[in-house]
Amino acid sequence: MRIAVIQFPGTNCEHETLAAARSAGLSGEIFRWNRPAEELSDFDGYIIPGGFSYQDRLRAGAIASKEPVMDALREEADRGKPIIGICNGFQILVESGLLPGLGGVNVALAQNVMVSKGEIVRRGFYCAWTTLRHEAPSKRCSGSFLLKKGDLVRMPLAHAEGNLVTVDEKLMERLNEENQVVFRYCSETGEVDGEFPVNINGSRENIAGICNPEGNVLGMMPHPERSSFAWQLPPTDSRKCVGDMNAAGPGRRVFESMKRYIEVRGC
Amino acid sequence: MKIIGLEDQEVKANLRSAGLGLSVSEARSIAEVLGRDPTVPELFNYDTMWSEHCSYKSSRATLNEFLCTSGPNVVQGPEEDAGIVAIDDEWCVVIGHESHNHPSQILPNEGAATGIGGIVRDVNCMGAKVVATADPLRFGDPFGEDKNHVRWVAEGVVDGIWQYGNALGVPIIAGDVVFDDSFDTNCLVNVVAIGVVKRGEIVKSRAPAGAGENGYDVIVIGKPTDSSGFGGVTFASEELREEDEEANRGAIQIPDPFLKNVLFKANEALFKLTRDEGITIGFKDLGGGGFTCASSEMGASAGYGMDLDLDRLHKASEDLPPQVVACAETQERFMLICPPELTPRALKIYNEDWDLPNVYEGARASVVGKVTTDGRYITRYRGMVTCDVSIEHLTRGIRYAREERPRKISLSEPAIAPPQDLTSALLKILASPNVSSREHIYRYYDTEVQGNSVIRPGEADAGLIAPVRGKSFGIALSVDANPFYGRISPYWAGATAVAEAMRNVAAIGAYPATLTDCLNFGNPEKPEAFWEFRECVRGLADAAKALWLKGYEETPVPIVSGNVSFYNESPEGTVDPSPIIACVGLIDDVRDAVTMNLKRAGDSIYLLGPRFDELGGSEYYRTIYGVIGANVPMVRFDLERKMIYATIDSIAQKIVVSAHDISNGGLAATAAEMALAGGTGLGLKLALDAVGSDLSADRLIFSESSGFLLECKAGAEEELETLLKGRSLAIMCLGKVTSSPEIVMTHTGKTVVRLDLLEAKKAWTGGLGEAMR
Amino acid sequence: MLINLRVWLKIPDAEAATVKNTLRRRMGYEDVLAELGKERLWSIEVDETVADPGDLARRLARDLVNENKESYRASVDSVKFEEGYVPVRVGLSIEDGEAVSTLNRLRNRLGFDMVRGVERSVVWKLALSSAEPEKTAEEIAERLLVNPHKDFYEIVR
Repeated sequence: MRIAVIQFPGTNCEHETLAAARSAGLSGEIFRWNRPAEELSDFDGYIIPGGFSYQDRLRAGAIASKEPVMDALREEADRGKPIIGICNGFQILVESGLLPGLGGVNVALAQNVMVSKGEIVRRGFYCAWTTLRHEAPSKRCSGSFLLKKGDLVRMPLAHAEGNLVTVDEKLMERLNEENQVVFRYCSETGEVDGEFPVNINGSRENIAGICNPEGNVLGMMPHPERSSFAWQLPPTDSRKCVGDMNAAGPGRRVFESMKRYIEVRGC
Repeated sequence: MKIIGLEDQEVKANLRSAGLGLSVSEARSIAEVLGRDPTVPELFNYDTMWSEHCSYKSSRATLNEFLCTSGPNVVQGPEEDAGIVAIDDEWCVVIGHESHNHPSQILPNEGAATGIGGIVRDVNCMGAKVVATADPLRFGDPFGEDKNHVRWVAEGVVDGIWQYGNALGVPIIAGDVVFDDSFDTNCLVNVVAIGVVKRGEIVKSRAPAGAGENGYDVIVIGKPTDSSGFGGVTFASEELREEDEEANRGAIQIPDPFLKNVLFKANEALFKLTRDEGITIGFKDLGGGGFTCASSEMGASAGYGMDLDLDRLHKASEDLPPQVVACAETQERFMLICPPELTPRALKIYNEDWDLPNVYEGARASVVGKVTTDGRYITRYRGMVTCDVSIEHLTRGIRYAREERPRKISLSEPAIAPPQDLTSALLKILASPNVSSREHIYRYYDTEVQGNSVIRPGEADAGLIAPVRGKSFGIALSVDANPFYGRISPYWAGATAVAEAMRNVAAIGAYPATLTDCLNFGNPEKPEAFWEFRECVRGLADAAKALWLKGYEETPVPIVSGNVSFYNESPEGTVDPSPIIACVGLIDDVRDAVTMNLKRAGDSIYLLGPRFDELGGSEYYRTIYGVIGANVPMVRFDLERKMIYATIDSIAQKIVVSAHDISNGGLAATAAEMALAGGTGLGLKLALDAVGSDLSADRLIFSESSGFLLECKAGAEEELETLLKGRSLAIMCLGKVTSSPEIVMTHTGKTVVRLDLLEAKKAWTGGLGEAMR
Repeated sequence: MLINLRVWLKIPDAEAATVKNTLRRRMGYEDVLAELGKERLWSIEVDETVADPGDLARRLARDLVNENKESYRASVDSVKFEEGYVPVRVGLSIEDGEAVSTLNRLRNRLGFDMVRGVERSVVWKLALSSAEPEKTAEEIAERLLVNPHKDFYEIVR
């Protein structure tokens, strides 16, 4: 079972993403974007990590979405292989039409807006730890296969454009009905509060991650690879110093889920 | 250019009209050594190499006189672009520290971004992976006369730093911001970068042995050379004047973190190739002084010459004059010296595998010349020789013995009546721009990228990363300096900066391994400013010597990297002496580190470090009374060393579960920050009589004498007291951690402080935002 | 009145180069797209009573234009672009935070209290050799230049 971590010019999270995947028992390598796209079919799953591919030129994820490697990934997605896009990876999947996967480009990830008590208190780039609530049933999607509905997962986010917006009024209904809303931002105790600092970027309905109808493609703004090891947690989290340097952090569940998804699908 | 036989006035006119900063005597000495009139490109090369920024002509003698740059853990001292210190038998940490002050005052965003860009290049070109940066910043008074401009600079600088650092993918794990009116027209932007490298994989920035004899290729990699930053080092070596602003703006370099990100990865591929093939290369980044500086230094430091063809260098335009091509400071460029057999594969990595030409228009790797054995530095352009000088003479630089004269500092202690309400004084201090929480700024910084962060800004006095997967060791980083102390005593400013940086690292349980310094002063040609510089260096050297490396008695903590920035002044004034120190610390297991937030009700709070009547330069004097005072905190070296190591050891023995150092705002601010950092509603009840001093309550809690507040695990008090007694440290148990969200301090039977933590939180978290809006 | 500042890079425009590259190499416009230029456009609403708009434009440019690497041209009320291009103006259809902070900075920090509104957009100048250049430009806008869920575009005539 091998996964490819796609590396575009400007990607900057590929090493720790591969390390997190490995910690969950997956093997894999970093796949430079300009390798022959045919080589991608050798892999069982794909992760598009975070960063600033092409420096967010034109629009975050726009240029990367037009690269041949994304055409190849589209084919692999059609074959049902799992693809997880993290942060900039999510933006690339949105621009490629792979998420929410209803044909064409259905949403945009726009600039963060922090709203508290009706006032905009801050905008733009924000780095902080957040908690996500798993909104879908178990096994709904590749990256959350092992999570139960209502499970809370702690991990950091760091981005300037994670604010999910759409002009399609019916879209939200559809995403909710089809259980395509996978993660929402919530408080440490699991309350989904629309105000900042719980809704950390103004995203519609606190959406932090969505999947496609099939459930093999997942995109999420926060970074599970940055909380795959317990020692990465903030000091106020009692799990931080438990166990050895390999002790799992909450984010590892995402990569373990991907592994389980591949196993269950059968290679 | 005609020099020989002309009068001084004529020579000066010739020089200045060409845009050269060289003095007449410098130009004459060059002509004399050459035995002829120098060409204009030659003069620009000398202008660049002999500028303060490149040659350290005013500072080198002083630095060599005082600073200790070697030690048992030093793998490489300050000779190359970055210093290297051993972590264990396999791994080393690489450190660089630089300033980018003048450019940031003119174009804050580009100036600060280029500052980070420059320093990460220095660390990367040693073969290291850059794993963290820290940014110590100094801005003017955000509420003073220049407040609009100050805020404009501050906002631009912070934007420049996060936009560059986040895109590059290097976490910012430490830093500080100080607002002080002496920086109104001269901000300070210093940046520290650290990296990790295996000892056997260090890449040197000089031509390797055999390069000259075997005609090694000289290759330039990266952005096509343009005119940006031309005059950069000369600009950095002069005072800032408003009428020069247009010209100064042209001297600002253009940063590109995206190209840098790609270059770092391509560099990694190159280094791996050379390791696999067992080939030794020389690799250096092009920073201050551009092409001339990098190429001449790479040759001279190995005893070789260079023969370079500027026509073969990839450029943004073909009509740049040779001196611009040679001395411009176009960013995101590196220089590689390698055997010709490696060249085709090296070029392929950059031009094909990493597709530089499509990543950035005109970017590529180009062969520009050869290493020679004749000791000459030769450049050619459009078929003509534009420069032919002795490489040693060019790079040797010159030394000036600057005059020093003590600055008359006539400050005195104020006659003040202590305020009735210490609680509201404390609230005011917590809201002040220099004490308030830095959260407003660090939320813009990606502190998590690379997934190595263990302790981030806001959690403790130092940042901590675990940079090598599979290993448990951690690298701690902290930066510090107090410019107000500098205003009173440059010597103590230097000493306290070192002590505080080391205390910060100790407070998380790491031991100081090395220091770097960035020395920011005024015009060294003015005797008072030069005296300030020397005094600061003397102070920081004395502290580094006295505060010993862990496990080695009488061995100074080495200073392996650093930078001197002079000319931080303008007609409006000169900056407060600012020796900014970074301390890099090590810990064997990151899970043993502690943060400053209070952990459990019932734990005891101990004060380390007696309180002295040292409120000169303090937050208390300045914020409440608007005065500076005169009794600046001193460093009592023996005491300081004992406190630092007592803290480290008591944390290692798991007796102390939280620690925070005492600095600006005194123990009152320290206590408040420990309570506010965790936000869990834990408070403190402290009895100041336990300090055993006859200072008044206000002096007790606001004195900035060095020290720590330690949270001792309930039940372990006896162990801690035994440890302290064994090191002759006074035992001052101030009280306990409580579960009520307030800080109560009593003195001589009265409650002198009752701080409601919700109110304190509002003041503390809002202060910086107020100053930067 | 509206003060328009057209701002373009004096140094190579890496973003424009990348967009052109993507259109030609990845999206099939190699034969049709000859050139692509990019400008930033600041449209600043100021009081009608401003006596010397040219001078105001110069002063605004000091903050909005980085003369180290950019050139600009100011015009009042209308904007015109050169012949030979189809100019496609792209802006945010959702609230533009950067425009809001620029407005605040100009008014509150820099004292331009005659400034009432700030709009920010990008103008892509497409040199097209197709039979119906405007149609091609619309196609390019919809296929690459905008995400309709947050951007709007218009062909500037």
